[in-house]
Amino acid sequence: MRRYGLPGLVVAALLAALVAGADGPVGAQSVPRQLRVAIGIDADRLDPAEQTTTTIANIVDYMFETLVDLHPTKQQIVPRLATRWQVSRDGLTYTFTLRRGVRFHDGTPLNAEAVKFSLERLKDPRVAMALRFLVQPVQSVEAVGEDTVRIRLNKVTPTFLSDLSTTQFAIVSPTAVQRAGDRWRSAPVGGGTGPYMFKEWRRGDSILLERNPNYWGKKPLFDEILFRVVPDAGTRLTQVLAGDVHQAMLPPAPDVKGLRRNPQVKVVEAPSDRVIFVAMNTQWGPFKDVRVRQAMNYAVNKKAILASVLFDLGTVSDSPCPPMMFGYHKVRDGGWPFSPTRAKELLAQAGYRDGFEVNFFTPTGRYIQDFQFAQAIAGQLRNVGVRANVTTMDWPSYVAMIQTPLERTRIQMLVLGWAWPVLDCDGVLYGQFHSSSHPPRGLGPAFYSNPRVDQLLDQQRQEANVERRKALLKEAQEVIWNDAPWIWLWSQKWYVVTTRNLDGVLIHPIEKWTALCEPQEPAVGHHCVNWR
Amino acid sequence: MGAYVLRRLALAVPTLVGVTVVVFALIRLVPGDPARLVLGLQASEEEVQRLRVELGLDQPLPVQYARFLGRLVQGDLGRSVVTGEPVTREIAARLPATVQLAVASTLLATAAGMVAGVISATRQYSWVDYLVMTVALFGISLPVFWLGLMLMLLFSVHLRWLPAGGYGTPAHLVLPTITLAAFSVAIIARMTRSSLLEVLHQDYVRTAWAKGLGARAVVLRHALKNALIPVVTVIGLQFGGLLGGAILTETVFAWPGMGRLLVGAIVARDYPVVQGAVLVFAALFTLVNLAVDVLYAYVDPRIHYG
Repeated sequence: MRRYGLPGLVVAALLAALVAGADGPVGAQSVPRQLRVAIGIDADRLDPAEQTTTTIANIVDYMFETLVDLHPTKQQIVPRLATRWQVSRDGLTYTFTLRRGVRFHDGTPLNAEAVKFSLERLKDPRVAMALRFLVQPVQSVEAVGEDTVRIRLNKVTPTFLSDLSTTQFAIVSPTAVQRAGDRWRSAPVGGGTGPYMFKEWRRGDSILLERNPNYWGKKPLFDEILFRVVPDAGTRLTQVLAGDVHQAMLPPAPDVKGLRRNPQVKVVEAPSDRVIFVAMNTQWGPFKDVRVRQAMNYAVNKKAILASVLFDLGTVSDSPCPPMMFGYHKVRDGGWPFSPTRAKELLAQAGYRDGFEVNFFTPTGRYIQDFQFAQAIAGQLRNVGVRANVTTMDWPSYVAMIQTPLERTRIQMLVLGWAWPVLDCDGVLYGQFHSSSHPPRGLGPAFYSNPRVDQLLDQQRQEANVERRKALLKEAQEVIWNDAPWIWLWSQKWYVVTTRNLDGVLIHPIEKWTALCEPQEPAVGHHCVNWR
Repeated sequence: MGAYVLRRLALAVPTLVGVTVVVFALIRLVPGDPARLVLGLQASEEEVQRLRVELGLDQPLPVQYARFLGRLVQGDLGRSVVTGEPVTREIAARLPATVQLAVASTLLATAAGMVAGVISATRQYSWVDYLVMTVALFGISLPVFWLGLMLMLLFSVHLRWLPAGGYGTPAHLVLPTITLAAFSVAIIARMTRSSLLEVLHQDYVRTAWAKGLGARAVVLRHALKNALIPVVTVIGLQFGGLLGGAILTETVFAWPGMGRLLVGAIVARDYPVVQGAVLVFAALFTLVNLAVDVLYAYVDPRIHYG
């Protein structure tokens, strides 16, 4: 006892120091000073223009604001930094009136010059804007007065207002950008107008934001928001259960079922615009025949897979375009029917009474339960005689495979998910079914070609009239659905788990989630985060 | 001794150049396009092509390698494709966390492992020996991510004593250190035991006992000192390995170290970061090995470096 007295004391003292050093448990009733959110990936860049993932764009949205917002539930464009706008009769000129009295975090006033600077910046090749094609239609930006901006387009762009609501089009402070120089993309100090301001980014560990005391809209609820980078889904969930964080994105899918019943936490889940599908190479062997592709659709029981493999984290597709997008038209209520008998009939008609062998690629861990549901699909296809051999590989190799041109492609059938930052059917339809989207130019691995579809998709891009455009999109969806270049599966949900005190976390269809007021404009009926 | 160290350092240069060749070639042999991966599936082909040119990926491989070496001799590792930041800055941001965890784990593993090994060897075939060696077997066999999650479940979720992952305070260091040390403790314990047992059966040890020395003096001063060489080697190798990043531990505990930086860079095909990180690992490993060799001379005065 005497001998170990000293070391024992040291150990006890150390343990006490460690325990005291740990952050106290979260869960008190008063609003915490700091909201802590666990995210799965570290930021690449914090410049709004250079965003490539919705997870990071999400963080950027706390600091930066766009001219207009997309209402999260009504799916209409509502004011943000612009209070009003007018579109000329020819659809080529947009005039915006800016909100008065707004200042950037560095004190610079928000004015027409700042908007001009921000939008023109997007065309600068030194700015790595991944979706640069979104700014191609902008011909000129003109500061008409202190708070009036006129944007001229070089062609009619029906999605232009929606495009302006994406993070990439956020308005930045010209003085802050110039002052930051090379450090802007990693430390955008003073650059935004949003409710929170950039404070610190510790690489691989966390991003810290602080309250903007001069925010023009509703005052932010928390003094600080800490986004913690926690790559492992199990650890993110553990941190919520341990009270280390208040909110975590995407806990492990198999845990969601139990979490929905756990009174300590809340699962917030909502449909997203990410459609999950099996693309069939329509220019390969049996898949050249539309009857075979339709048979594949009949053979797969989407509802059963969703319930037993995806824990209901998806909604069955009933059109090539997901429901929350502009132009969506429900082609088949309840999705493509499940009927193995009909599948066998069609296969027999096409001359494949004994089925055939096909390679079937899937990523692992990219989409909810991807490798698992691919195996379920292969099992169901076996019932109608189609022997699909499931193979997986890492994501970079997968993308490289998709980018291979038709002559050299190994693709016969593969799992892919497709989402679009703008809620408009054009994104998914043009990006996957227009014949210009064949790899390597595009990333439409079905190599689908239908002149009528090309014509419809080209026309809707020129059509300024909303109703006529809807009609074009409707016809396109019907034709594509029946041509069945994909096995139509589902659109997956986005989900987060929060402590039960956090109320009003909102999930956007574009895989974003925020603990803010959405939209900021109270006049259109907004919805704010709260602590209970 | 000084000349020996200098010679070893000079010999490290061709090794490191060899490492750059292998890494440069390997990362480019696996499929994947950094430009497409960084810009995402929705980016247009024009934009992706523009980035490829900007990154110099359109150039032949020998040209790319020559450019890389040319910058390297000036101490420039290039810029990350993903973040656009200098690779040196990326590594500098991650290295402290890795060193911290590697040092803490090695200290813990050395202390615990040697104590266990000595206890085990001096009580060979007793129940204490069997207990220690069984626990060591568990240490070697437990998957790191499982052990990490179990520790978190116990100490963070149920007891709420320690944070569940993250970085910053000393409290954050405890669980990852234990998790990471578990394997090394076991290896060091087994190595200490077998090495010490060999020495304990030698004549001079019997002489020491015969002289009437106490157990403490015989075991610690006479036997253990002579049993240390293989143990020091193992500790050096473990430490070098831990400096190379403990990828699973870092992932489970959200620890912002080099292992995660490297894995993230491989997944993004971020060529400059992969090259830079591996080069730093190789250099660290070489240095640790050199330090171990120098240490031999102190442990065993019969070893001389001319």
